[in-house]
Amino acid sequence: MTSLSTPRCFWLVRFAARETAMDPSEVEFLAEKQLVKIIPNFSLDKIYLIGGDLGPFNPGLPVEVPVWLALNLKQRQKCRIIPPDWMDVEKLEEMRELERKEDAFTPVPSPHYMELTKLLLNHASDNIPKADEIRTLVKDIWDTRIAKLRLSADSFISQQEAHAQLDNLTLMEINTVREFLLDSLNCMYKLRSNLQPGSRKGQLTDY
Amino acid sequence: ENESMSDSLSDDCVSQEEDVMTPAELISKLEEAWLNEKFSPELLENRSEVVECVMEQLTHMESNLQRVKKGDAKASVHRMEIDRIRFVLSSYLRSRLQKIEKFFPHVLEKEKSRAEGQPSLLSPEEFAFAKEYYANTETYLKAVALKRMPPNLQAVDLLKAVPEPCLDSFVFLQVKERQENIFVEPETDDQREYVVDLEEGSQHLMRYRTIAPLVYSGAVQLI
Amino acid sequence: MDTQSYCPVPPGVGMEENFLSLDDILLSHERLPVRTECVFPRLGFLEKSSDTQDIPEATKMELPLWLSKGLYERKRKVLSVELPKVYREGWRTVFTADPNVVDLHKMGPYYYGLGSQMLHFDSPENPDIAQALLQTFIGRFRRTMDSSQNAYNEDTSALVERLDSLEKVLFRSGQNGLNSFQSWEKGQASQLTASSLVLNYRKRKLADVQT
Repeated sequence: MTSLSTPRCFWLVRFAARETAMDPSEVEFLAEKQLVKIIPNFSLDKIYLIGGDLGPFNPGLPVEVPVWLALNLKQRQKCRIIPPDWMDVEKLEEMRELERKEDAFTPVPSPHYMELTKLLLNHASDNIPKADEIRTLVKDIWDTRIAKLRLSADSFISQQEAHAQLDNLTLMEINTVREFLLDSLNCMYKLRSNLQPGSRKGQLTDY
Repeated sequence: ENESMSDSLSDDCVSQEEDVMTPAELISKLEEAWLNEKFSPELLENRSEVVECVMEQLTHMESNLQRVKKGDAKASVHRMEIDRIRFVLSSYLRSRLQKIEKFFPHVLEKEKSRAEGQPSLLSPEEFAFAKEYYANTETYLKAVALKRMPPNLQAVDLLKAVPEPCLDSFVFLQVKERQENIFVEPETDDQREYVVDLEEGSQHLMRYRTIAPLVYSGAVQLI
Repeated sequence: MDTQSYCPVPPGVGMEENFLSLDDILLSHERLPVRTECVFPRLGFLEKSSDTQDIPEATKMELPLWLSKGLYERKRKVLSVELPKVYREGWRTVFTADPNVVDLHKMGPYYYGLGSQMLHFDSPENPDIAQALLQTFIGRFRRTMDSSQNAYNEDTSALVERLDSLEKVLFRSGQNGLNSFQSWEKGQASQLTASSLVLNYRKRKLADVQT
């Protein structure tokens, strides 16, 4: 009996070069679509982009633009970036305490909090008060959450669960464990199908 | 003049379910298709209509940009947006080509057994690519090894030799339209099957097989 | 997944990343203790300890997995395959007690892969073997995961040495996820670096010079 298809296609080795992988820079790319407030120092009419309208831009008047444009304008010294409300030491300290206290994942301030922190702190730290403290706080929150994620991954595997709800996880968090967790679940699936000869899952064939 | 750079979509680019799709909606359709294709274990149905409309938008915008003076502040923003859209578009098409290379015999088989009127898995270009890939692989195997084998061992059934996509893989997903009574198969003998409701906006980890129809219909987004 | 059992496809036909997979080929060459249940005419040359022309019935010898599997038939016994000791009851008990203490590389390195293949041969112990494989995997999961996640910039060789080849693949998946995140975080994603192969090669060359 064998649960495996042809020997040459044996499942042990089917991991490399998967297209289901996403690079962190691609997650960051998605985060760059988030809107952020800037204060421009130039004037420009409305821009009609394919993805929607932006502007008009008037010196000194706050306006919302996607992060990719905000960073570009900032690099060309054409604007000041107003950090999002949550990017604030007091608020983040509260979140960190809550994250450490709760067993479950607490709601995040932004689905891209990690990427936005990195992008804004790296390119506009002069517009963000207490940038270093914010960096540390966000990193603490991240570390706490990743530790929880490992804990829940282990319990998902050991309980052999079929379904988990993960509402507050962000794409970047999922992405760091995706490959490992999905590969492990696939391996476990194959090992478990060994137990069920003749079923749909196990592929026993009598000659 | 710049204001006419992005018009509403032409008649060909009207989505099936709604009457008119704005360019912004079109771009989010492309991004959804991109992520779904990246994370689904199998090759999904082609979205040529989206690809073609996006291409049309890009061409239109680029031809408008050619008429704009150098150093125009708006033009540089438009160019950045074009680059971003182009990136998603090519990444989407590339991930489909990778899957076709990975599963080519099965993809072609599915295409062959497709009932008339059923939408095609592959775009015409992808279909040509898959057939060529199949032929080249066979030729290569013959040239490099098979012709030196005893006659009775020279045939290779690529359908058996190339692994099929594993639909039992787990996937991460986000719910876009609420779903009731989604069946969860038990993993072990001492577990019982149960159903879950998928609330809008919630995120889940579960088997692709269970929710594949919801990916096709757009009710869930793979993440 | 199709429902084929053993299907003699020529080696190296899996067309994607497992094309000519070394692990797969090595696994199929793992040697199994077998006992012939009939005479194997004119195959005496396979059995180095004797100089007879045929292999007589009831000879104990070792055959690679691929050959044992090909010759094995449930109805007409040509040979019987003995269970390697790591899958026997004694070892199964050890695994149940604490799967983490076992050096699966030394005992394997294809503990899960070969174990799954052993189920091809009819044995009353098969359900227990299948269960042991699964429980061992689950029992060792946490450690494989944690080490792959914490191991960044640390020497993990001692730990990795004790992993089965399947766990090693998973370990690498875990490290990939962590490393790509960390290099993104540091902004190194866009920097070009020499591939690790080249670096290792240099190291090895250096080591050769020193010895």
